[in-house]
Amino acid sequence: MTVAVEFQSVSRHFGPVKAVDSVDLTIAEGAFFAMLGPSGSGKTTCLRLISGFEQPSGGSIRIFGEDVSRTPPHLRNVNTVFQDYALFPHMNVRDNVAYGLMVKGMAKAARHARAEEMLALVKLDRYGDRKPGQLSGGQRQRVALARALVNEPRVLLLDEPLGALDLKLREAMQDELKALQQRLGITFVFVTHDQHEALSMADSLAVFNEGRITQIGTPAEVYDRPATRFVADFVGSSNVLPPEMTRALGGPAQWASLRPENTRLAETGPVTGTVTALRYLGSGTRVILRAGETEIAALVPAGQPLPEPGATSAFAFAPDALHVMGGA
Amino acid sequence: MSRPAILPARGFADRLTGLFWRRPRLLLGLMLTPPLLWLGVVYLGSLAALLLQSFYSIDEFSGMVVPEFTLKTYAELLRPANYDVIFRTLLMSAAVTLGCAVLAFPIAYYAARFARGRWKAVFYLGVMLPLWSSYLVKVYAWKLILAKEGIITWAAEATHTSGILNAVLALPVIGGNSLSTSYIGMFLVFTYVWLPYMILPMQAALERVPTSMLEASQDLGATRAQTFRTVILPLALPGVIAGSIFTFSLTMGDYIIPQIVGNSANFIGMAVYQLQGTAGNIPLAAAFAVVPILIMLVYLTLAKRAGAFDAL
Repeated sequence: MTVAVEFQSVSRHFGPVKAVDSVDLTIAEGAFFAMLGPSGSGKTTCLRLISGFEQPSGGSIRIFGEDVSRTPPHLRNVNTVFQDYALFPHMNVRDNVAYGLMVKGMAKAARHARAEEMLALVKLDRYGDRKPGQLSGGQRQRVALARALVNEPRVLLLDEPLGALDLKLREAMQDELKALQQRLGITFVFVTHDQHEALSMADSLAVFNEGRITQIGTPAEVYDRPATRFVADFVGSSNVLPPEMTRALGGPAQWASLRPENTRLAETGPVTGTVTALRYLGSGTRVILRAGETEIAALVPAGQPLPEPGATSAFAFAPDALHVMGGA
Repeated sequence: MSRPAILPARGFADRLTGLFWRRPRLLLGLMLTPPLLWLGVVYLGSLAALLLQSFYSIDEFSGMVVPEFTLKTYAELLRPANYDVIFRTLLMSAAVTLGCAVLAFPIAYYAARFARGRWKAVFYLGVMLPLWSSYLVKVYAWKLILAKEGIITWAAEATHTSGILNAVLALPVIGGNSLSTSYIGMFLVFTYVWLPYMILPMQAALERVPTSMLEASQDLGATRAQTFRTVILPLALPGVIAGSIFTFSLTMGDYIIPQIVGNSANFIGMAVYQLQGTAGNIPLAAAFAVVPILIMLVYLTLAKRAGAFDAL
């Protein structure tokens, strides 16, 4: 396996704030890698450390084995799709896409031909003469993508690439990005705070919290076996059970997570709670139980009888659905 | 207890707000009427009167204005001596504009990109402060600074760099006896007094260029110089043009600085001042005053054609 990006105890401090705190990270070549975390967790700073817009306060960053600590952004063979797209408003779409080739001194005809190829790749041929202001959000996003890919970077960085798009478009673009990445074979690293996006697009992901990586793994690993309470809570919604309850449910006296979709209501069980809320989800209804200080969400499939708020109910789950987490 | 769906009007203000809600254009109209009257009648009206005057002529014997349409005054304007005045003014305005742009850019760039909080306040204060004192005071202060007995000559002597100063003063045309009696001095004073008018629009334009756009340029492989040429400058150009309209037209119309600093060569503003004052030749003064307007129109047309307003 070739390593595309490698962080060795990389830190980035802004005064007293440790935006990135001693992060170790390895991203394999050809991966579709997601950096997931709430805002302020250090994921965007990590992305900017790769592109070179931030310099590490400590540690070293390697891109394809080469130390880039002293390499300015314009000499890194890495390109970025910016969150706000950052298209140049005074240039038409073709010149925007050809920009990377223009600054390298490629002749006009050649770079325009290449730009048209890239536009065809993102299905925007015939849009070359337009100005970015005349495009929709989704189209701008594609232009930004074509512009970032024109230099054939070894790593493509995407900062919240779908954040500004509406739901329908976002889902369509997710599929398209994934297909594009597989076709080009370029390593994609993208930052998102949207767990659905990370789970559905990435083939491996890192969960960030407070400047550190809490867990790295495939989406299934992270979803099914969250390493900490934070991951359990942040990636998908999860019932986080305190040690006493885990033990009452037949596990060890440790924190555990239980996905609502694996939890059903039951007549009897070791733990009972009071129904406090019902949330209709379309495909079913999520029932919230309160047992002492803990809230437990269970899924009642569509068509099955629902309890009244205030009723008492127990819950049940398959034995392997309860995931015991190490540490706190 | 029943609560009404419509709340009772509390008085005149409520009814007025209701009226404006029913007729949204009414408020707009009321707000725009005074400035439109001012602009349309007083400002454009006087401009039209000026234009009209320039098509009158003066009776050479009686010195009275003859209110008949003629191009005689314009023929008089286009004499070689007046060409010199126009050309000199144009050159000085261009030089001052260029000087202001070069000096203002780093300041505006710093203020737009890096200054935050307190430093932003310092920037605004620093730029505006000179505007609080009288223009005449500043010009006379500069005359003293630039004079042969002034601080520059003194500083040059103290640092044994009089040679450089003398070499500069020995330059043909723009040099002179002392800085205060040369074109160089006049250029310095003009640049100083009009600099804020260049910095402020430039800073506003640069502030609207998102940082991510500069990063995108670097990310795609551009050097600093390429980023400046292909992204910053085109995006800031409307601000630069706005600033240059100020510096250019203010220099073209000024009649005080050329009287106080410089070698008393004639400028358009001075010519207008003398013609309408001492000479009493209102038509020629009006014709002279039309020249800067025409020059500005040509300048703006060229700027528009060059795409200076594309980023607006």
